[in-house]
Amino acid sequence: MTDTSSQAKNRSNPDNGYEHLAPLFDEMAALDEADPVRAELRNKLVTGHLPLAEHIAARFSNRGVPREDLVQVATLGLINAVDRFQPDRGTDFLSFAVPTVMGEVRRHFRDASWSMHVPRRLKELNLAINSASAELSQRLGRAPTPSELARHLDLSQEQVYEGLEAGNAYHSMSLDEALSPDADSDSLGETLGETDTALDGVEDYESLRPLIERLPERERTILTLRFFRHMTQTQIADRIGISQMHVSRLLARTLEQLREGMLTDEDL
Amino acid sequence: MTVGAGDGSPDQIELRLGAELTNLPIIRSLTSSIAMRADFDLDAIADLKLAVDEACSTLITRAVPDAALRCTFTVRKDEIRFVVSIRSSSDTKPSSDSFGWRVLTTLTDHANSWVEPDGEQHLVHIEVAKRRADGTAA
Repeated sequence: MTDTSSQAKNRSNPDNGYEHLAPLFDEMAALDEADPVRAELRNKLVTGHLPLAEHIAARFSNRGVPREDLVQVATLGLINAVDRFQPDRGTDFLSFAVPTVMGEVRRHFRDASWSMHVPRRLKELNLAINSASAELSQRLGRAPTPSELARHLDLSQEQVYEGLEAGNAYHSMSLDEALSPDADSDSLGETLGETDTALDGVEDYESLRPLIERLPERERTILTLRFFRHMTQTQIADRIGISQMHVSRLLARTLEQLREGMLTDEDL
Repeated sequence: MTVGAGDGSPDQIELRLGAELTNLPIIRSLTSSIAMRADFDLDAIADLKLAVDEACSTLITRAVPDAALRCTFTVRKDEIRFVVSIRSSSDTKPSSDSFGWRVLTTLTDHANSWVEPDGEQHLVHIEVAKRRADGTAA
């Protein structure tokens, strides 16, 4: 099979709903940069593929960033993809555009999901510490200390402190989720399993039980693993597939909610 | 930089502030800073933060109006001890059957609470201690 025929096969894929747009890329590529028809074709391609941007934005919604912002970012990613796509390379537009648009949305999460302004340097430092921490935890069988992180990353301890503190300014519902491998699936329940038996022991706390039952599944699981199964935050992080810092933030928020809930119940 | 005199003698850090839930972030960030600089591992740092949060929240709800929350951190080579105290009109100490108490005992190596009379009122204290994890050098 030659390149041209496999290309034709990709483009005629009847399932994607965009196949009628594919020939426009060839037309556009053949035109001169300054040709007004080129701008027209570009518009058609962007508009025609808009549902794709909306679809990708929808997959990242409910994670703490407004839906409209996501659609806007995804649309910008789509425009970039239309501009950069080279039809003579042999791949079809969708295989090129989907990762481009998703990359754009993920970058937006990375930048927008800090609840206060944190310089990019610190965000990157925090991300580096997060991944080093996961790696060292595997190796050591326990969470690393700041000095171990500093040695591993070849940073000063002060820099590690700064990076760890930057994590506190981080919007708790976002990046970890957007970047974790499970971000695009609903497999959390399957990953966790055993939730019902994890609730053993909670019955000792009568007033708490209804509050715990009202928690989202993941928060409930993290709470029970930490306080009734005595797993460490690092072990929980490993089991659920998010970072230790994220587990820490979720636990802090959950305990706060439970305390508030208990107070409200007492007031009634 | 390390916390403590370096010769094994404890270092004390005190914080006195209004007994308001809105002040919790200040106490949390001090806790985190102390535990990081003592080079505790990330789990221990996070646990201590949660425990301090829990202890302070418990006492804040028992405070008499305009009471001050008094926090003392004692940093030793292998342990950070935290004591928080509040003036209260009640002489009952936090129940050890509560979930909040379970949170404190799970997150730390030691948790204790006691009440002492203070004129017409009472001083309620909660103490927790977190030890350095095995395998992490002092």
